[in-house]
Amino acid sequence: MSDVKCSHCQLVFDSTVMIEEKDNLYFCCKGCQGVYHLLKDDGLDAFYDKMRNNTIAPPLENDKDSSSFDLESFKQRYIKTDADGFSRVDLVIEGIHCAACVWLNEKILNETEGVLEVSINFSNNKAKLVWDEDTVKLSTLIEKIRLVGYNAYPYDFNEVSQQSIDAKRNYISRMGVAIFGVLNIMMIDVAKYAGYFLGMDREVLHMIHLVEFLFSTMVLFYSGWIFFKGAYYGLKNKIINMDLLVSGGATITYFYSISILFGAKGQSYFDSVAMIILFVLVGKYLEVLGKKSAMDSMDRMKSQIPLEATIIENGVKKVVTLDEVKVGDIIEVKNGEKASVDGVSIVKLATFDESSLSGESLPVEKQKGENIFSGTINTGNVMRYEATKNYANSSLSTMMNLLEDALASKPKIEETTNRLSQHFSLSIIILAMLSFVGWYFYSGDFEKSLIITISVIVIACPCALALATPIASLVGISWATQKGLLFKEAKFIETFAKATTVVLDKTGTITKGKLTVKHQSKVLNEEHLALLYALLSGSTHPVSQSIKKYLEATAKEIDALSLENIEQVSAQGMVAHYGKIELLGGNAKLMQRHGIMVEKSAYTVYHFAIDGVLISSFELEDSIKENVTELIAYFKKKKIDIFMATGDSQEVASRLAKEVGIENFMSQMSPLDKANKIKALKEQAEIVVMVGDGINDTLALSYADIAIVMGSGADVALAMSDVVVQNNSLLGIKDAFVISRRTYRFIKQNLLISLLYNLITIPLAIAGYVMPLFAALSMSLSSLLVVGNSMRIKQKNKKLKKEK
Amino acid sequence: MNEVLQLELIVGIIVTFILITIFVLSAKKGNFDDQKKMMDGMLFDSPDDLRSAAQQEAKQEEMRKKKRESKELDK
Repeated sequence: MSDVKCSHCQLVFDSTVMIEEKDNLYFCCKGCQGVYHLLKDDGLDAFYDKMRNNTIAPPLENDKDSSSFDLESFKQRYIKTDADGFSRVDLVIEGIHCAACVWLNEKILNETEGVLEVSINFSNNKAKLVWDEDTVKLSTLIEKIRLVGYNAYPYDFNEVSQQSIDAKRNYISRMGVAIFGVLNIMMIDVAKYAGYFLGMDREVLHMIHLVEFLFSTMVLFYSGWIFFKGAYYGLKNKIINMDLLVSGGATITYFYSISILFGAKGQSYFDSVAMIILFVLVGKYLEVLGKKSAMDSMDRMKSQIPLEATIIENGVKKVVTLDEVKVGDIIEVKNGEKASVDGVSIVKLATFDESSLSGESLPVEKQKGENIFSGTINTGNVMRYEATKNYANSSLSTMMNLLEDALASKPKIEETTNRLSQHFSLSIIILAMLSFVGWYFYSGDFEKSLIITISVIVIACPCALALATPIASLVGISWATQKGLLFKEAKFIETFAKATTVVLDKTGTITKGKLTVKHQSKVLNEEHLALLYALLSGSTHPVSQSIKKYLEATAKEIDALSLENIEQVSAQGMVAHYGKIELLGGNAKLMQRHGIMVEKSAYTVYHFAIDGVLISSFELEDSIKENVTELIAYFKKKKIDIFMATGDSQEVASRLAKEVGIENFMSQMSPLDKANKIKALKEQAEIVVMVGDGINDTLALSYADIAIVMGSGADVALAMSDVVVQNNSLLGIKDAFVISRRTYRFIKQNLLISLLYNLITIPLAIAGYVMPLFAALSMSLSSLLVVGNSMRIKQKNKKLKKEK
Repeated sequence: MNEVLQLELIVGIIVTFILITIFVLSAKKGNFDDQKKMMDGMLFDSPDDLRSAAQQEAKQEEMRKKKRESKELDK
């Protein structure tokens, strides 16, 4: 036995499980084999050179019908026509892993007749497709994508999407210009400062000032235009914001430097003008990027919404768009399809995978009259239900709308920071103006008064104050990164450190979200083992898969048998035959139906019976993650309230809470219930940290002060998170608390240092004892003090152990 | 000496502003939207890729022309 690479996906497998072909070709599955030959035949094998050392996932199984892409309703919703008459659709391409995937999809579409333009964005897997509808149908193009192992969904490219793209482009161009200007000014500064100490001709110095003037003008009025705009709108609404301080400070320094350029005595500060603008602009750009990536994730989530629903009208099936579904319509959902709107079941029994709403991994049984939720997947036979809500009011749509609102209102901490800096900015501007007026009336010397005013502004430029938080946060964040924690923004450290309550999701956070066999009532003999294994192999249900894995791990050898008349009994189990032997595998209901009595249990139990005799029962449970008790003990020690929220039943929640030592737990919680609980806690003045991982937690995560998501969480949950625990370890949450609390203490120390600095130096500047150059130097010194102090965050290892 | 410096500066500044204008226009047009793809293209695009990109542009031009012509015929 040896490991070999799949010739298509490049993943390594044992040679015994591979499909082997001549010329040393190995394939891990038929999908890979098919795509490999297709690419070879079409002359697209350059794909494998472009993959370099990357691997891709085996092709997605796409047996879905793509004719819905040609429906009139689809066209109305997603397809736009340009001035020349070409059609445009925006897609999310599923399965893109590397640049080669982008190349392949673009190539295969570009080579199709009728395609005008394809552009796939590697960063967010979104594609713009422009084609001639008279020549080729969209469904044909989608099939081409599916043929090479990828999948495509449409997404609604609207005004908001265009605005976010424009904002990103705007920032890139402004930041590019600012970086260019600052780099050039810095190079020229080397000559200028060398001349300052070693001597320089006035003419050369003038030339240097002139060049600096040109670059800083470009940076101030092009790159910094955003701040002028922000300051203008702020003033219009009677708000003094950071933009005013940045644009005001930079403009005054700029005009003072111009006066130096035209012959006044003193130092020019064109370099400071450009640098102030660049540094603040970089921070703003990162914010724009964060928002854009969250919006991209939302688009990916939206692309999973079904496009249409099948309704039954006078006994005839009719495919309609979601907007056309009315309350009272009878909707048919096939196996594997998603429910389009909320409703009630009208069939005797159905099963739905509600993991997107409740996080519960096991399919839920739905009796006649029970609620069916939009976005949940039918895992049983074809079923019908009656719509009780239209699409706009259904749970999936409501959740999307709430998430979008949350996305728009997320930067609440930023508002607090802005409010604080407003007072500071206002005070400094008033002080500077008073200094100017005072000195002008006292000395009658305009130049001296202006120089003192500039000194006040420069010395009070809240560099140390502004650095106090970010530099300490940066050290804290880099430390956190080493520990596998990703703080999306520095400001979350402060909120995290002040947290008073933690809400933990159950599935995927406290438990692993995977079922494992806890107990087997009776050991099976070889024959029974082989029969059970064959029965389990016929099902993809999570319970069957877990027991199958358990048998594979515990049994030495299992004979391969093939069964006949395999019948899936929805929400109960399976019935099959081996010759004349009848095999039953499933839950207590299936056993009772066949007259076999079994004991009740608080766990999920799988029973196996042969010819009406119970052979063995398997108790399964979702295993608890390592270190849960350590984490709970830490929270208790630090007097942080702990809550557990789950969509599971009261019994399951109660048993687990008791096991891990959590007193407060909430069961049968819907995503909205979880979000409302967070809201309620916040109303009680608690600072709430929510830990979750699934789509069902997303709403609650967006409502929490701090949202922690495990690295393996759903895309949209990751987008909503403030902190990502990349290694999925619960100890990561404890580390996040320890790091943020320690970092926050240093932030407070830094603030004290910078305030003391301002208290001492501002009066000196007002009194006229500080010239602008020394003001700039002392400003740098205060910043250095703050930086030096922040560096100590990671050093005190001994103290750190105590904190833990 | 200073005259040479002045001349160099003037030329340098003019070239700089031309380049900056090109950069700003290309950024606004979306050339830097996908930085990952751009970097990958810069590092690994082969002559074949460049050739097919040129062919694609020619194809686009031709398709637009045909479409316009057929639209006029329809009118």
